[in-house]
Amino acid sequence: MNQLLEKISACVEFGKIDIKSPYPPSMKDQEGAFELTRSALDAGISAGEILEEALIPAMSRVGQKFSRNEIFVPQMLMAAKAMSSSMTHIRPYYLSGETRRKGTFIIGTVTGDLHDIGKNLVAMMIEGAGWEIIDLGVDVSVDEFIDAAEKHPGAIVGLSALLTTTMENMRKTTATLKEKFPHLQILVGGAPVTSEFCEKIGADFYAPDPQGAVDYLSTLAQ
Amino acid sequence: MLPSVRALERAMGYPAGNAPGYLTAVITEVFDELIAHEEIRAEYRIIDDIAIDTDAGTLTLQEVVLSPGLTVTVQIREAEKVALFVCTAGATVSDRSRCSTPDADLLKGYVYDVTGTIVVENAADMMLQELRRTMEAGGYGITNRFSPGYCGWDMAEQHKLFIFLRDNYGGVTLTESALMKPVKSVSGIIGIGRKVRFAPYSCSMCDDKNCLYRGRKT
Repeated sequence: MNQLLEKISACVEFGKIDIKSPYPPSMKDQEGAFELTRSALDAGISAGEILEEALIPAMSRVGQKFSRNEIFVPQMLMAAKAMSSSMTHIRPYYLSGETRRKGTFIIGTVTGDLHDIGKNLVAMMIEGAGWEIIDLGVDVSVDEFIDAAEKHPGAIVGLSALLTTTMENMRKTTATLKEKFPHLQILVGGAPVTSEFCEKIGADFYAPDPQGAVDYLSTLAQ
Repeated sequence: MLPSVRALERAMGYPAGNAPGYLTAVITEVFDELIAHEEIRAEYRIIDDIAIDTDAGTLTLQEVVLSPGLTVTVQIREAEKVALFVCTAGATVSDRSRCSTPDADLLKGYVYDVTGTIVVENAADMMLQELRRTMEAGGYGITNRFSPGYCGWDMAEQHKLFIFLRDNYGGVTLTESALMKPVKSVSGIIGIGRKVRFAPYSCSMCDDKNCLYRGRKT
């Protein structure tokens, strides 16, 4: 692999955002994902190559380490932030059509729930896997999800809930969306959510962690 | 009220001494900022006019009928009165735990989030102990604390609780979707009576395996 791509991949995996970022200490004062991605593009490496050969494998390794409890949310957040800084340079190539998205993913925290850390983490991981993200934010009403699904035909919807108390709203949102769009794929996640709950409310897939969501979406994109 | 740095690292999943150094630095920074914003509040109000129906799973406060369900009403069935409480970790920790802007410091936001959760639970436990001491001095016992959204109690019932906790009680307000602001807040009820017993949560009666209070001994 090209040395620049290897460096970008390492920066994302270990959460080195940019040159100013003091983390991790072993990479202090070195260029981070932000600068190296710019350099790679300037050197003629395509946005697609950066995505496929550096960002996606790096985030996949991060996701797998998280799934195995080798790293925890703080390290994953740093990695996602580093990837996001790289995406700053990649996004314009999606807009120009030079690089194609795998699909559109609508995400939001269900009504009554203001938690956004997990939702943001999933959104960043999925964007890093090549999907367009429509982030509706937190405390999202059923109507807002319906509007977004109408505007983005073929999109997949992700519902997040961090509170046991808002799981009921996840059920209501899923039921209403499924009634209106029977073929809509709905993915659910969040600390209190389980695969049993997912099945009970009629959602299509439960992702126990961000990597689970990425893996599931990659099966749909094939 | 703040946990130790090590306790917070453990709450994030790290075995003792295994957290990355930069995380410890961010936690220390967050704690220093929170010490400068002492906003933790815990208040309770005692209601004497109550009726409990364990068959119906209801608790009537004055003329307002709440439906906390069987689990809660069985626990408080001997209560002669109840304390309605609100605790909050405050607006600073709640607001700073939000990471919705693209430029947000996600790691710091996460540290604020976990800290806020622990702080508000510590505040609620401290309030519970204070109420216990006060009531025991008068010959009363207290039950554990119960909140809408847990033990099968519909979260929407929080609106009924807030009928008695008006005017920014404890610095906390309720949104239309029954969410408290500041976010890092808890509200609920505690049974009080000469015959009531304090008992750990009856988790075996509940099928919510991921509940915050599951398996707690206090």
